[in-house]
Amino acid sequence: MDLTLLMNTSMLLMLTLIITPTILPILSSTSKASPDTTTQAIKAAFLTSLVPLTLFLYSSSDNITYCWQWKFITNFNIPFSLKFDQYSMMFFPIALFVTWSIMQFASWYMATDPYITKFFSYLSLFLIAMLILTTANNMFLLFIGWEGVGIMSFLLIGWWQGRMEANTAALQAVLYNRIGDIGLILSMAWLASTTNSWELQQAISVTQTPTLPLLGLILAAAGKSAQFGLHPWLPNAMEGPTPVSALLHSSTMVVAGIFLLIRTHPMFTNNQTALTTCLCLGALSTLFAATCALTQNDIKKIIAFSTSSQLGLMMVTIGLNLPQLAFLHISTHAFFKAMLFICSGSIIHNLNGEQDIRKMGGLQKMLPTTTSCLTIGNLALMGTPFLAGFYSKDLIIENLNMSYVNTWALLLTLTATSFTATYSLRMTSLVQTGFTRILTIMPINENNSNITNPITRLALGSIMAGLLITSYTTPMKTLPMTMPLYVKTSAIILTILGIMLAIELSNMTHSITQPKQNLLLNFSSSLGYFNPLTHRLMPMSLLNTGQKLSSHLIDLSWYKKMGPEGLTDLQLMMTKKSTTLHTGLIKTYLGSFALSILITLLMHTD
Amino acid sequence: HQQRVLRLYKKSLRHLESWCIHRDKYRYFACLLRDRFDKNKDVKDMVKATELLKAGEEEFWANQHPQPYIFPDSPGGTAYERYECYKIPEWCLDFWHPSEKAMYPDYFAKREQWKKLQRESWDKELKQLEEETPPDGPKTEALPPARKEGHLPPLWWHYVTRPREIPM
Repeated sequence: MDLTLLMNTSMLLMLTLIITPTILPILSSTSKASPDTTTQAIKAAFLTSLVPLTLFLYSSSDNITYCWQWKFITNFNIPFSLKFDQYSMMFFPIALFVTWSIMQFASWYMATDPYITKFFSYLSLFLIAMLILTTANNMFLLFIGWEGVGIMSFLLIGWWQGRMEANTAALQAVLYNRIGDIGLILSMAWLASTTNSWELQQAISVTQTPTLPLLGLILAAAGKSAQFGLHPWLPNAMEGPTPVSALLHSSTMVVAGIFLLIRTHPMFTNNQTALTTCLCLGALSTLFAATCALTQNDIKKIIAFSTSSQLGLMMVTIGLNLPQLAFLHISTHAFFKAMLFICSGSIIHNLNGEQDIRKMGGLQKMLPTTTSCLTIGNLALMGTPFLAGFYSKDLIIENLNMSYVNTWALLLTLTATSFTATYSLRMTSLVQTGFTRILTIMPINENNSNITNPITRLALGSIMAGLLITSYTTPMKTLPMTMPLYVKTSAIILTILGIMLAIELSNMTHSITQPKQNLLLNFSSSLGYFNPLTHRLMPMSLLNTGQKLSSHLIDLSWYKKMGPEGLTDLQLMMTKKSTTLHTGLIKTYLGSFALSILITLLMHTD
Repeated sequence: HQQRVLRLYKKSLRHLESWCIHRDKYRYFACLLRDRFDKNKDVKDMVKATELLKAGEEEFWANQHPQPYIFPDSPGGTAYERYECYKIPEWCLDFWHPSEKAMYPDYFAKREQWKKLQRESWDKELKQLEEETPPDGPKTEALPPARKEGHLPPLWWHYVTRPREIPM
């Protein structure tokens, strides 16, 4: 049996399965896709995608499928080729699994929405764009996928378009992504002019790339993956419905930036500046996001900040020159983050729209499956030994400890690890334990299999995925094998420290002392003052300059400075300087004239 | 003055609730706060009362919670105006096909009479609004009630035909 043929056939089948429910209702007027058909299609696609994955793992051969060539200009061709290497082959089943679970959940969550079919078609369009991005072999297709996920993110965040904050958040997401796109286009332009092609094979063959295109790529990743500086859109993107947050902003879209860096990784290897930039940027965003998550009171925002923090960690991994480990973290993170979002969505819907953890408590008895899966997800996030997060997170921290990097970046990442434990525990304890503080007595149940099945499936994934993926991927770089015991267990010790801090703080909330604002709380709660500073200060100054330019420039410059006033200014300056010299003592001048003429005459007659 | 004091009390209770998450602690501090308000309940001197109010407001401002708990459906909450895009104005009902209108015969039978009533009372409502707005423009968004016998309150049609809070 020809393995290549089998692999290609199954890939084609899978792509057809995904595309059909989305595109067919547009083309034909009679067939309509319902949410259930889309969910079943994605489930079938997931099961089909396991076939190429298994084939790939046993043959370990990269595959590049060459579809069509667009002859742009004479010596510049854009072939539409798809690359099926370990990254995209591993990503397909994971993305499809997560999407299947999310769609099943969304068929319960959005059941009262009149446009639910449109919602599902948006979700599948997003999935198609994401898959184009991951399988792209050249920057052009990658850019198509990149913009595609950006647009779908805009449409999905602003799903409830009557709500002002949702529209603002969607616009913010698009604008921040656009700023990142500048970097991407810069590096694409450099690539096209230097290597005369946009293929990744040509891109990675350039060993000594100048820093500028690399900085462009880092900017693109920072914009898409919400690193510090371009991060405000991610917490605000929680205005969209929970399935949107689960799919886009936890597992798939936000890893697009990191994926770009993984794909173009050989360009980075020799350039220490770019690697250090990645490292420091990632460390800063991890810590910043973890600090902001400590005092948030909205479940979805806490999980959004934790996503941002883990993305910073992925950036740190790239800065450590370990793309495979970053991809491993992407895969494991997808499972437990999507599960966390789905659990929170189930809680929110059951409490009739209540998102504030101050008004939730004692849900353990009422929603046992959901809350236990919430706990599993949080444990996986914290990097508990042998759950999914452990395999990637612990390895990252070990490598960070053992390599010759910035100590500052190391310290930031370690602090962020303990903060992760703190806010996760805070969230779980306030949501699940204690006396119930919910507002009204709602019929809270999880009897619907559309909720429990996705959650348990993803829980199973979070537990097993780490083990499965690491046992089937061969590492490309040798990881450090020997290290002192305290370094090896540093991640666990920090997590335990974070847990102890959380327990201490929750004991403080129970004690009878009046809480007050203090500086740290203010910094953390207002997200580090970043939002008001950048969103108000910069545009105001730019607009003021623009207004001055437009209203005053013409009058001021052409009619005054060029003509009379300019001349006046010049003359005045000169005259003022020379006035002081001009003392007006005529007699002294005449005397000096006479003296000098006398001396000259005497000298000449001599 | 009474309204301002009561508003300060309610605001401070809500922010206290945002600070003290657990109910027993909140109840303790709420009782302390109530006692502080009750001690100055009988102050008749307006100057002193206003000074107390001002001090209270300043203390509130200093101690407020940066992310106070806002109910999801109230302005600023997470679900506010969420369904605004699904609310359709009532004049769309005029565009329904007769077969669709036949599904709700009693409503559409009465609808013509309601619309006739609206046309008749529109001039009177407008006249009342014109008389009652101050010359600089309206100060609040509240509409005045109907003043004369047999008249309807101004702009009643928009209130009566407003869409449901959570459409469908």
